[in-house]
Amino acid sequence: MLNNTGAEFMSDKIGSPVERTDAAEKTGGWAKYLDDYDFPGALHGKFYRSQKARAEIKKINLPELPDGYHIIGRGDVPGLNAVSMIKQDMPAFADGHVNHIGEIILLIAGPEKSGVLKIHSEIEIEYKELPPVFTTVEALKKGDLFADYHLKKGDPDTAFKNAVRIIEDRITTGHQEHIYMEPQSLYGSWKDGQVVMHGSMQCPYYVKHSVVEALGCDEDMVRVVQTTTGGAFGGKEDYPEIIGTPLAIAVNKIKKPVRLVLDRIEDISFTCKRHPSEIVLKTAVDEENNITGMDIDIVIDGGAYETYSCIVLQRAVFSSTGVYDIPNVNVRGRACRTNNVPNGAFRGFGAPQALTAIETHMGHTAEEIGENPAEFKKKYFLKKGSATVTNGKIHEDVLLEKMFNIIDKKSGYAEKSRQYRTVPGKGIGISFYNHGCGFTGDGEQTIIKAVVYLDKKKNGNVEILVSNVEMGQGLRTNFPKIVSRILEIPMENIIFKDPDTGFVPNSGPTAASRSIMVVGFLLQEAAKKMKKRWNDEEEFRVEQHYRHPEEFTWNQETMQGDAYPAYGWGITVVEAEADPDTYEITASRIWAVHEAGTAIDEKILNGQVQGGVMQGLGWGSLEKLQLKEGRFLQTTMADYIIPTAMDFPRINSEFVDNPYPYGPFGAKGAGELVFDGAGAAYLSAVESAFNIKISALPVTPEAIMEVMLK
Amino acid sequence: MTLNITLNGKQISLKTDPLRRLLDILRVDLKMTSVKEGCGEGECGACSILLDGEIVNSCMIPAGTVNNSSIVTSEGLRETERGRVIIEAFAGEGAVQCGFCTPGMLIAAEWLLSKNPDPSDVEIREALSGNLCRCTGYDMIIDGVKTAAKRGAGLW
Amino acid sequence: MVKSYRPETLKEALELRRSEKMIPLAGGTDLMVKFRNWAGLPPLFEKSVLMLNNISDLSGIYSEGKNIIIEAGVTLTETAESECVPAPLRKAAAQIAAPGIRNRATLAGNICNASPAGDTLVPLYVLGAKVRLENIHGRRELLISEYIRGPGKTVLKDDELLTAVIVPPDTSNISFYKKVGTRKANALTKVSFLGLAEIKEGILNRINLAFGAVGPVIVRSKEIEAKLIGLKSGEIDIDKVSAEFSALIIPIDDQRSTAKYRKKVALNLLGRFLTRVKEL
Repeated sequence: MLNNTGAEFMSDKIGSPVERTDAAEKTGGWAKYLDDYDFPGALHGKFYRSQKARAEIKKINLPELPDGYHIIGRGDVPGLNAVSMIKQDMPAFADGHVNHIGEIILLIAGPEKSGVLKIHSEIEIEYKELPPVFTTVEALKKGDLFADYHLKKGDPDTAFKNAVRIIEDRITTGHQEHIYMEPQSLYGSWKDGQVVMHGSMQCPYYVKHSVVEALGCDEDMVRVVQTTTGGAFGGKEDYPEIIGTPLAIAVNKIKKPVRLVLDRIEDISFTCKRHPSEIVLKTAVDEENNITGMDIDIVIDGGAYETYSCIVLQRAVFSSTGVYDIPNVNVRGRACRTNNVPNGAFRGFGAPQALTAIETHMGHTAEEIGENPAEFKKKYFLKKGSATVTNGKIHEDVLLEKMFNIIDKKSGYAEKSRQYRTVPGKGIGISFYNHGCGFTGDGEQTIIKAVVYLDKKKNGNVEILVSNVEMGQGLRTNFPKIVSRILEIPMENIIFKDPDTGFVPNSGPTAASRSIMVVGFLLQEAAKKMKKRWNDEEEFRVEQHYRHPEEFTWNQETMQGDAYPAYGWGITVVEAEADPDTYEITASRIWAVHEAGTAIDEKILNGQVQGGVMQGLGWGSLEKLQLKEGRFLQTTMADYIIPTAMDFPRINSEFVDNPYPYGPFGAKGAGELVFDGAGAAYLSAVESAFNIKISALPVTPEAIMEVMLK
Repeated sequence: MTLNITLNGKQISLKTDPLRRLLDILRVDLKMTSVKEGCGEGECGACSILLDGEIVNSCMIPAGTVNNSSIVTSEGLRETERGRVIIEAFAGEGAVQCGFCTPGMLIAAEWLLSKNPDPSDVEIREALSGNLCRCTGYDMIIDGVKTAAKRGAGLW
Repeated sequence: MVKSYRPETLKEALELRRSEKMIPLAGGTDLMVKFRNWAGLPPLFEKSVLMLNNISDLSGIYSEGKNIIIEAGVTLTETAESECVPAPLRKAAAQIAAPGIRNRATLAGNICNASPAGDTLVPLYVLGAKVRLENIHGRRELLISEYIRGPGKTVLKDDELLTAVIVPPDTSNISFYKKVGTRKANALTKVSFLGLAEIKEGILNRINLAFGAVGPVIVRSKEIEAKLIGLKSGEIDIDKVSAEFSALIIPIDDQRSTAKYRKKVALNLLGRFLTRVKEL
């Protein structure tokens, strides 16, 4: 094992799987999700949403309200009528204008669902329609952008001027819906002068912040409590604020509890999606077929409001050259404002789009030059000390070569990729990828400022107080495991409840592959302090604040430096068979090798791999969302399809250990990494099986046919 | 109508509109909240229950069609030896992440094992094909069913 | 509130049927989704609902002469698992949705739903199945192709019920069924094909071809089939047959697939089957 970090003092055993602390209660159906609670006296809430993509609201005609029923709108906002995310451009309730179909105009609440529906059907809105923008082409023409970023490494102009050939690709990726199995669910109540929000969410403090701004009240007037969360994947990073802010405004006005659970159709139709992307890549090649430069132009559709589009775009831009050290690079990234449903956070956060593009383009470039894709790509692998596209450097050992040898041995990639060139109907594809862990640059230091508490109880128990949530990824097990290992007390003595902002400090959002690496590290350090002070009798609290390691430098203004302190690394191989009559692909075998520092729990990490790769394969193959005039054509789970147990074979997964000094026991982030490469690997397997060139995800049979018939 | 059912082994009578979804009766009237609504259209399987021993989607069943039937939900199954074996196997194999689909998976596993106590991987995948999971990629759920079949040999 | 009835005998059901316009409901797997409401509220049926599953004498599968009779209460699981049922129908039924739906949905319901993508319709068209319609006065039998008139449209009268499906035997010695779904299981059909042929001493005695989800109703052509009968299997001109079907296959673009894909794949599958027949 590598020992250049000093962090692996106990890492020899930490990864051995333990039984998840939440497994039995969930399987037997004891675990309660929001809609499983019986909230006595709660009203049922339902949104009235815009039917128009862009319009001025001329008049709202409301029906007579029966006793006990309420309609809440912009006039009821005591503070700022906005959902406070990075910007405050999205109104909580539409403010005279609507900018996308499904925009929230009103919230109806009442004791009977039938009564609420009746009111909903009687509301009439007079719109004055305005010309909408539905495509990025139109938005670019108008110059209507949320962001326009430029990065430069080396001297790309000279590289292109001296190139003997330039290889170009235009790669597109589609929308993706999260399909967390539990739809968006919140409950707002009024208790002792406080607005209390319970719900399925990733970031209790995000919801709290937005509600405080909208109510214009003191921080202690709002409390947010996470309930057992039935999947999230980024979809419960932004949307709980988008519906939670109007819900809180309603509760604040009527002083009654309101339950808000989205129907699946409403959830698919209007929640934020993965940003679709169009990426044009140009590669300058010299006489010896070496890559001398690249020009990458990324365009994403942000939808009608900014949400997290700029940060998603930043991650796309920073990931644009993938795992490769390209000497001279120009990158431009633009996020367009359109009148489509806003796009937002989704596992990977812009990286999967960029990585699909670079992987596919590198594959095509190898093909043009006449080299084996993996052999060609290997020549450009980043190494420790390599300069990144933001002119920072890679601080860690890069084990991609070793990982390739492992996956090649298992899958026979090198051999099969040659052999299948002449075997019709059989193919094999590969992708290499990395994912920067945590917030961009010094965001952990300047924006998040995470704090954790560890409380020592009199009975010897220790309580973890953080704002990060269990949403399926295993924090309920991994956080106690970290603390129990340091304190050398059984996991049963560690308490970790669903976060309640009334009690837990703000340790930041459950996002950006940061929970284990950043928050887990703070818990490890807090536990070390606690251990030093340990006294069976005493009740005390240990507090730990984030401190940015000095060796990582970043300038957010110029976007130069170490965009991420550390990366997770991965390789996925997909073997596939093609049906020449139906253009269907059957993935026959799948292998994955990942490096995410040291595993805190190998089984939980493996669960992330299998689930993440599967979700990536879904994005790459099946999950098609089409917009028609600002409205999705696929709005049910019959039409928006995710993989079943029959669609893909077992994912054969393995890890390589590479401890990171600022992660607990050497752990880095993995939750997003495992998604990032599956789409590209699938695409390249399809190319190999059909002997064609593909430039778009999802690779549906329809898309394959179109290429075949060209 | 008066609906008479045997729910998890107990006789129950209740008054209901026969058109109401069995899912709503189970969740709202009878507090069987292990039965989840994931999609409301028979696609996801989170509302799976056993109806006279067969797996069905309770979101698609009007109450009026199940009079005098026997219904099993996870609340009942978890109290049986078979249920305990599956729950332990799922927990041991890492079959559970967010858990929202899992009570439905438990029902699907019980249904499969009641028909086929020693299923192959393919048979398990087919039996679970109506129960969607977005977290696990299914592999560990398959392992959970296999382990349950092995450990609970003779129970089914 | 919409009324619902739960008759226990067919006679009772037919009398109710005569008394008022109502929606017959067997498994409910299509209707409960079609009329879905906000969770917690009863579905929004437009008319009274006649629940058929309490009728105990409507759930048999038995033979009558050469034919197999499948009564209206028989589920897709039962259809798929019964050894009396012709193989192509079993195969199609087994690939519909997932076990939870197949355990509840009925063959009769799949027919009455009359979706162009209804998977049992393709084998029923190919086999020349009939439906038995009954009212209080008597019964009539219609070919499935006469019964279904368009998407969601049948000639079922307000006082009638479909009580049984009459399926002739499968005498083929070569058959090929392919459902191209949106995914590998639990999938709706984008396009499907079934071909059956009976070849005796190298001569085509019988050939039946049908396509699902490529038009408003299942596409089958007796004219094209008639031209093939009597040929030596090696004499089949695949391009010509394909061209003739090309004129009949008029699919649409929708949220699940494209017209172009449906047509191309339908003809490819026809070609695959005819190639096999020629090689026999």
